[in-house]
Amino acid sequence: MRVVIGVVLLFLSIGLSLHAQSDEEKYRSINGSTSIGIGRYNLRDTYLSPSTDVNYTGWMIRVLNERMKVVKLADYNVSRQQYVNVEFGSTQNGAGTASEFAGFADYSLGYHYRFTSLLPGLKLLTGASTRLSGGFIYNTRNSNNPVSGKLDWDLNLSAMAIYNFRINKLPLTLRYQAEIPFMGILFSVHKGEPYYFLTQEGNDGVLQFSSFHNKFAMKNYFSLDIPISNFTLRIGYLNSIYRTDVNGIQTHILSNSFMIGWVKEFVTFGGKRLKNHARQFQSAYY
Amino acid sequence: MKTLIYQLFLFCLLFVSCEKGADYHSSPRENFEALWRIMDENYCFFEYKQVDWDEVYARYSPLVKDTMNQYELFDLLGDMLAEVKDGHTNLISSFDMSRYWAWYEDYPANFYKEIQDNYLGTDYKIAGGMKYKKVADNQIGYIYYGSFSSGIGEKNLNYIFTHFEACKGLIIDVRDNGGGALIYSDRIASRFLEEKILTGYTQYKKGNGHTDFTEPNPVYLSPSEYIRWMKPVAVLTNRHSYSATNDFVNVMRLLPQVTIIGDRTGGGSGLPFSSELPNGWSVRFSACPMLDVNKEHTEFGIDPDLKVSMTDEDIQKGVDTIIETAIEWLLSKADSTKTKSFL
Repeated sequence: MRVVIGVVLLFLSIGLSLHAQSDEEKYRSINGSTSIGIGRYNLRDTYLSPSTDVNYTGWMIRVLNERMKVVKLADYNVSRQQYVNVEFGSTQNGAGTASEFAGFADYSLGYHYRFTSLLPGLKLLTGASTRLSGGFIYNTRNSNNPVSGKLDWDLNLSAMAIYNFRINKLPLTLRYQAEIPFMGILFSVHKGEPYYFLTQEGNDGVLQFSSFHNKFAMKNYFSLDIPISNFTLRIGYLNSIYRTDVNGIQTHILSNSFMIGWVKEFVTFGGKRLKNHARQFQSAYY
Repeated sequence: MKTLIYQLFLFCLLFVSCEKGADYHSSPRENFEALWRIMDENYCFFEYKQVDWDEVYARYSPLVKDTMNQYELFDLLGDMLAEVKDGHTNLISSFDMSRYWAWYEDYPANFYKEIQDNYLGTDYKIAGGMKYKKVADNQIGYIYYGSFSSGIGEKNLNYIFTHFEACKGLIIDVRDNGGGALIYSDRIASRFLEEKILTGYTQYKKGNGHTDFTEPNPVYLSPSEYIRWMKPVAVLTNRHSYSATNDFVNVMRLLPQVTIIGDRTGGGSGLPFSSELPNGWSVRFSACPMLDVNKEHTEFGIDPDLKVSMTDEDIQKGVDTIIETAIEWLLSKADSTKTKSFL
């Protein structure tokens, strides 16, 4: 019970009264990374294959850009995280007689309250995020149901653990992040409705409120940062689960991808801030 | 370090999703059941065609044997699909496609390309998917549109109408046009409208029951913003005018300057969807009925205003009875007409 209360308090902590505090003297850097992931898709969409439980499986590739920065909120105890993800994959049915291509892009913006004093080297972050995502699954075999379009806007619960440690004096950073949408809006045609009919008048119900009754999605992201020479390598694993049962159409889009990329820590500044600190940096332009 | 990465890898495996699904099954029984269910839950004309699908199951189920090879199974499943007598319903494997084409195979052709060549010659023009030429001493414009899968652009249509500007009437020959994209049907038909009109209704199955349809949704078509044709028009049809062509005729027959001449169309008013069997064969079936302005089905075709068949005598002489009738009809109607141009 204590654990449950603790978790609830962690999530609610984002709602603590927030106080802005001037701290212009300290630069708060951005942790940015770009990773490429290679993995596998498992797709099922009963709009594309009505009245079946056929899965399409195959390779997928993604590019993931992440930015994280401590912001003024709650006396600099909150960090902002942004993800831009683009992914594409090619799959086949079990018999190998039909293909489906899938492509998705999404952007998410999240804010996490940071607990930094729990254990040495450990940071726990809890908060919420919002994500806008869109994409398609295209079946090359079909007649008037060749594409299943996806468009989702979600509010998510998000939690993250970041652990800094050393192995043989090598500083490493391990991170696990989980994110679950709890409410949102999604687009879906109805079972058996051709997209051609959307050009006609009277299309009700193609935008639906989504929550756990008709949608379960989750992202689990592990990453390990390894400094090598003058750059930092990030390796990781991203598990993504997306299941919906809306307007008579059942969909799942599952992917597991192994990630590799690089990390950089940098400071951005411009305008007056740049002028005030121009001497500290040797600009090639100013 | 290696231990850490290994442990991390094992932990990640916890999230690798195992999704049970019909990956591949060649069992005749399983594929028979799957096909019957796909049709049962999605086919849209059971009630209209008075097909008792449960009775079909009872009749075909005993014929399914575990020892059947794939060719025997394919033939049996193809026969079962033919029970719905639907040109939009097929079973497709890598070695064959089952079909029901009796809607035109059992009727006179009423179209012979060799005879049509006597009218088109070799100096006809081609714009998009349309062949066109002036006939009857340049008094009549003749367009042959052989497939709604062949695109036709607004500029194509502008040039064609401009070419026929001095003509007294227009023939649009859609015989042997097995259909294609509805967007071209709308694009062409909009060139003959004076005002926005109701052209019919659409429905789709919102549930798995045979009568679980949505309320008919009205479909309107607005006049084109480009060149429009208000002089007399004859649309030529035969039994092989099917699917999107049937939809085109369904709209054109509503217009006062248009006369449908020839044979009854082949029908095909259900928009087809696709699905698949566990062994990878794909199945296509009519899923969404498109109703006419009276909310009636046109699945079995549309009757012409003037029913004309090609006579044996004309065929022998290389004369197209239907084209000749259309020319005569258009010339007789030629007086009270006008051409409107926009843009």
